[in-house]
Amino acid sequence: MSPVVSTSLGEPPFFLYCNHCRWDSAEVGITFEKPTGLAAQLQKFEDSAPESLEFERLKEHFEPFLRASSSSSALPTTSSHHHTNPITAAASSALARDIPGVSKYNPLSRSRVGRDKSGRHDIPEYKARVDISAAGGLGSGGGEANAEFLRHLETVEEVASLEQRWVGSWVSSLHTSDLKSMRIPLQSKKSKRCPSCRHILIKPEQKAQSVRYKIKLVAANYLPAISVSLPHVQAAMEMMKRSTALNKSTATTMTMDEQSVAAGALIAGKTYSFHLAFTNPLYDPIQVRLKKAQVMPTLGTDSDAEKARRPAFQVNLPSTAFPIAAFAEAWEYEDDDEDMFGLDDDEMGADGLGRHQRDGRGKMRTVGVLEKRANVTVVGGEVILTKEARGSVKFNMLVSYTYRSDDPEPAEAELGTPSRTHRQPEMKNFSFYTVVDLGRIAPREESRADSEI
Amino acid sequence: MPPIRDKFTIHSKAVVCQDVELKGDITIGAADSGSSEGTIVHPKATIFAIAGPIVIGAGCIIEEGAIIVNRRKEVMRIGDDNLFEIGCRVESPSIGNFNTISARARIHHTVRISSYCVIGAACLVVPAEDEILDEYTVIYGPAAERRTWSGRGKVQEADLRRKHADYLKEMLPKFNRLRRGDGT
Repeated sequence: MSPVVSTSLGEPPFFLYCNHCRWDSAEVGITFEKPTGLAAQLQKFEDSAPESLEFERLKEHFEPFLRASSSSSALPTTSSHHHTNPITAAASSALARDIPGVSKYNPLSRSRVGRDKSGRHDIPEYKARVDISAAGGLGSGGGEANAEFLRHLETVEEVASLEQRWVGSWVSSLHTSDLKSMRIPLQSKKSKRCPSCRHILIKPEQKAQSVRYKIKLVAANYLPAISVSLPHVQAAMEMMKRSTALNKSTATTMTMDEQSVAAGALIAGKTYSFHLAFTNPLYDPIQVRLKKAQVMPTLGTDSDAEKARRPAFQVNLPSTAFPIAAFAEAWEYEDDDEDMFGLDDDEMGADGLGRHQRDGRGKMRTVGVLEKRANVTVVGGEVILTKEARGSVKFNMLVSYTYRSDDPEPAEAELGTPSRTHRQPEMKNFSFYTVVDLGRIAPREESRADSEI
Repeated sequence: MPPIRDKFTIHSKAVVCQDVELKGDITIGAADSGSSEGTIVHPKATIFAIAGPIVIGAGCIIEEGAIIVNRRKEVMRIGDDNLFEIGCRVESPSIGNFNTISARARIHHTVRISSYCVIGAACLVVPAEDEILDEYTVIYGPAAERRTWSGRGKVQEADLRRKHADYLKEMLPKFNRLRRGDGT
């Protein structure tokens, strides 16, 4: 129930109003002088509620005894912390009180048992504010009044349902017309922290109305970025571009996208190589090791047993660890200087910048580190498709990397981090799983027709 | 069953979009009705006067997907300043003023609605026998419970309704074609 104020007239009395059922708080007698500061205006209603009055009476009744008992029980025997608030002091000594039939809980010493009993003898009988037997007439839970009410009911909606009544801590009247509006507890937004290092990962926005969170610690700043490319797709696209440039007159019915899909489709039964380019975002060089996770069968409708026996493809990944250089500004890379300025702009990929792994006659090795350039390393892998392969070629890959962190501890803040003091060279290891998707497999018959274009 | 002859009488100040399904003898917007101005019928509303005529007052707002059907021979009279929200279905033979029939509500032909009533969203008002809803009745909740509104805040509601209608009167013609005058 939201407080809707009659702002078009802007006059008191203001009241709470429900848009759904058109209930308003004036029916139960709650009105406000001004539209703001509702909690303060409601305070006097809450203070005069029966449960608060009862609680006040209880506090007054027990106060002299609490003061007496908390002063009499000596320090080593009572609870280990001193309560400054008399209510909590009352609560803790009330909890520790001797109850017949229940064995005492003695966290500290056993000598308490005899000592405190003496102080408890003279509590007079507590009389509640409202005698229960007379409570019936006041609508706060008496028997006769309720029975009378129920006898004269006209519709069942006049009785407040259990869900509506049990929110309050005190017995309330059965009449629906006596129901008061409920307070909704505040909800909190929590920020999330890393369980080990306690860094804040995501933090809620300051605005109460928005549900957004800001990402404070982005994993991408720490993990190597991986991008997949299939060299035969790029080569095919180059061919396509050249051929369409030459034969502009022949109108092809297929669009560029379809052509690229057709050219780059993985055909069942063949073997393809793929490139994984790893980009290192850290300021330290890292050593990366790849590992295939389980072989992923991609046959769509076959049973599970067959899936296990006939994996659709096999992937070969480089098994050795390969280094990736640290991230630095472009001008800081010393190694590739000659190469960068020496070569012209050749076709991308094969004869580009950087060093390559070449076999004797210049033929590219497919599995292994292919290229190292700035903070990017390209490794090649191979995928062998069986003839019955279908679906998309996806496999799980475990990437683990390790690096030696030269950063000094913040406690011993030393200026000049580039200096290789190796004060605390710790090897940090991280690993994560990722899924590599190489594309869909086109069955053999289709692709043959397309490749003739 | 005699063929339905269409006869639409649309007040000059009423805004009725082209895409509205009208059938039968329909009168929209009373001639002169004091403070209320023309009725507004959104596109894709449906008003079927199958067996008898329908007369709609001024200042009403009939939203998209609303279905107003008259299957009885007698005239179905709808008063002024009512709001028929999206997807509601109304067959009540008589409706008063300033009612709100919320989205997806359904009202049977056995009920007669007086004024200042609110039929909540998705409520089914389908009593077995003829019934007249008192003024200020509010029907709400999935079980269509009822209670009575005290009437507090009705001035603000009327104000809001008026502003709603004025806004629509200004905006709808900019984006929808209007149907004017007598159709066949």
